[in-house]
Amino acid sequence: MAATLHSALQNLRETKVWKSIFRRGPANTNRTRSIAVFGNLFLHWLPVKVREKSLRVRASYYLGSISFILFIVLFVTGILLMFYYHPAVPHAYRDMKDLQFVVANGIFLRNLHRLAAHLMVFAVFWHMFHVFYRGGYKPPHEFNWVVGVVLLLVTLFLSYTGYLLPWDQLAFWAVTVGTNIISAMPVVGNKTRFLLLGGNIVGENALLRFYVLHVVILPLLAFLLIGIHFWRVQKDGGLTARSKGDDGKE
Amino acid sequence: MPAEEMSKLTGRTRLIFAASSVVFLVVLAISPFKDFRREWKQYKRSYLRFAQGRADTKKLLADYHPDIDQIWLPEMNVVDRCTTCHQGMTQASLADRAVPRAFRAHPPIPHNVRDWGCTVCHRGQGPATEVAEAHESTLAWEQPILPTRFIQASCGTCHYADLPETPQLTRGRELLAELNCQGCHRLPGIERSAMLGPDLTNIGTKVKFRLSETELRGLSGYLSIQKAQAVVPYKIDARVVGVWSNNPELISQGELRFRQMFCSTCHSLAVTRAGEIKLIGGDIGPELTKVGSKVNPDWLIAWLRDPQDYLSHTRMPRYGWSDEDLYKVTQYITTKLTDSDLLTGVPQLGQPTEQEIQLGHRLFLEKGCASCHSIQGLNPQKDFGPDLSALGGKNASDLEFGVAKIPHNLVAYIQAKLQDPTSVNAAARMPQYNWNQSDLDAITTALLSMKGPPATSALENLVVPSKKAVFHPMGAFGEVYERYKCYTCHKFNGYGGDLAPDLTYEGSRAQRGWLVEFLKNPQTLRPTLILRMPQFNMTDKEAATLADYMVMVLQHPAANPARIDAKQFTPAMVALGKQLYEVKYQCQACHTIGGTGGYVGPNLNNAGGWLTAAWIEAWLRNPHALVPNTIEPRRNFTEDEVRALTAYLMTLRQSISPQKTASTNARHVATQGSGR
Repeated sequence: MAATLHSALQNLRETKVWKSIFRRGPANTNRTRSIAVFGNLFLHWLPVKVREKSLRVRASYYLGSISFILFIVLFVTGILLMFYYHPAVPHAYRDMKDLQFVVANGIFLRNLHRLAAHLMVFAVFWHMFHVFYRGGYKPPHEFNWVVGVVLLLVTLFLSYTGYLLPWDQLAFWAVTVGTNIISAMPVVGNKTRFLLLGGNIVGENALLRFYVLHVVILPLLAFLLIGIHFWRVQKDGGLTARSKGDDGKE
Repeated sequence: MPAEEMSKLTGRTRLIFAASSVVFLVVLAISPFKDFRREWKQYKRSYLRFAQGRADTKKLLADYHPDIDQIWLPEMNVVDRCTTCHQGMTQASLADRAVPRAFRAHPPIPHNVRDWGCTVCHRGQGPATEVAEAHESTLAWEQPILPTRFIQASCGTCHYADLPETPQLTRGRELLAELNCQGCHRLPGIERSAMLGPDLTNIGTKVKFRLSETELRGLSGYLSIQKAQAVVPYKIDARVVGVWSNNPELISQGELRFRQMFCSTCHSLAVTRAGEIKLIGGDIGPELTKVGSKVNPDWLIAWLRDPQDYLSHTRMPRYGWSDEDLYKVTQYITTKLTDSDLLTGVPQLGQPTEQEIQLGHRLFLEKGCASCHSIQGLNPQKDFGPDLSALGGKNASDLEFGVAKIPHNLVAYIQAKLQDPTSVNAAARMPQYNWNQSDLDAITTALLSMKGPPATSALENLVVPSKKAVFHPMGAFGEVYERYKCYTCHKFNGYGGDLAPDLTYEGSRAQRGWLVEFLKNPQTLRPTLILRMPQFNMTDKEAATLADYMVMVLQHPAANPARIDAKQFTPAMVALGKQLYEVKYQCQACHTIGGTGGYVGPNLNNAGGWLTAAWIEAWLRNPHALVPNTIEPRRNFTEDEVRALTAYLMTLRQSISPQKTASTNARHVATQGSGR
């Protein structure tokens, strides 16, 4: 059966439609396989070749991939939630109630988004610790380490901005406390707080700003940085294998 | 890596992948399954089955659909999904108690359920579609369903005016005003009555102070020196007093006068009957059973002679006493109305020390005494108690329960606080009141109705403002009216007390001559009543002033004197009227004439001397036009019958000679007394 499937796939790759989409026929050699990866928008930032070792669970615990998959889950559920949510004071909390009481599978959707967000923060942190303790920040990976740190910050900001959106007491006070901490910064503290809240209190302007940050600016930034991050993994020579010691062993 | 090891790895990976895919799918399937089993969907299905098992299925399912049903009132910020489960709400045929509670019809109310939703009155969480979330207090919702016995509170959130349908709420608001709660608390819509606690500016002249403990000594010492406006005691000639005091029947005559003046209409006395202590008398003024132990005799004479001189806003009228009566009644009160045990062993308060006075002054302010009792020159603290204007809308988390072992909800909090203020807050300064259960519930209802200003501006339009009528006319009438405090018992155009008949249209009802006689010597029209109009000992001039004013001003437009002329009544009409009264309409079932008849309506023995022809005529046409809630039925008399009955009733006159004598006596006494 596997053989039939294989040959059917082979035939499919020979068709005109396939070729027009992927710009080439079946990739049978390492060279054509490499060209196929390079020539594809979605694959080109992945490495053409990976070492078998780096695919082992213990090599990375797939923490980067898990973070990315969680990000995709958040992206999809987030878009679905946007269908039900108004970033305005009279509606925001009521929309939470509607998700709970009226929308089909609404509570599932919301919990999925929330749990995925918690998990993503957890996964990203673990990812960072793992990379750090394995020495993954060492040359030639310094730049990618920095991108990773920025991505960690973006994740945290996404999490924080999303926290305000239910517009309940927890959200309100969390953001009130958080932004008051910001205002403790010397010189620019109060200005930053004002900029973030669009005023001096956590009100409708703050809700709108946090919403725009949460659904537009930060996700765009995250996508951009994730692209760079993946691309640099490949350019820097794939997943960090432990550099060979003096005795020639890994 | 060797090839077989590699294939082992892939095999295991595939297995893990397959297993986790299945688990993932199962987990994903839980949500749609739970969605199908949602509470509201089960209620929908069960209503469908319930309706199909009844004869009127078609009617019950006329607007059935399997989705969420909601009442959306954007201007009131209401989204009520209660009718999703409570589907029989407007089905009249489901009013029966046998119908499951969730589907039972709403009892009839003045508002349409569909127009107002449910949570406006019942509270609870309108958008919720789960039983617990909708009815109870949860983590994200702290306004549970209001217990039905306080439901009138919800009427009060919009209706600031009193409604006949909400006696409990009205009673609660009355209590708030009566107990002067607004002396310490902010309570919107509750008018601060002039009847606070007694004014203490001159309390030192009024009360006999004998107290012992330190704090009480301080407080009473402080109060005993309050003699700001030294009242010059009214002096009755000592020689006359000497003669009176030798009278062996002095006390019993004083008691007789006390009864004749009908002091009991306002003041009660405790009486022991069959081993049970009962209060006999009205509750407008204070109970007087032991007042003799409290007040100084000199003060009492001055007070009885002119109460308004001591306390300008008192409800006590200024009677026209003769000196002799004044002396006798005072003697009766100070010797008979006492408590012999009360002050035994308690030393008379000597001259208080400066420290004691300081302590008393501080206590008086700290304990909030000044919020109810005024002392001239002493300003009460502002906002002494918490603002209660939005209490009814508070969440349980806004309230402090302290160590009280009560359920954490608003109703329980209010009731605990009212019953014992220290139960929720050991440092509470609020006094403890002795409520009975119905008053406790009434005042809880009134407090629950205070939900603060409406949440949206559109809601303000729904508020029915309360219109508080005030009737304090000026001029000669006003002077007499204030002197005798007519409004304490009688109503004038919606203002005044409920004890005695409404006098708004008295000028149309009664003849001037009758009014004058009645005012000088009130004899009640319904002799079975305990609370009667007191004997004021009015002068002729005062009675005439009151009667003139009433005849001129207190007129009803329906009673038109031009429509009927008593001079045109013929004996034939009178005879016809008598026959109609006795035979055709059997009026004697309720009214008494000449000793026979019922007691439901007023005695008509003196109808011709009492009522005006215009009033009788208008009354016979339509009594409800004159007094909307009278029990007199409206009969469709013909034009001739009305005139005949009026003619007959106008012939009914009773000689009131015995009272005449009494009244002349009273006048005699009044002119003799120099106490005016």
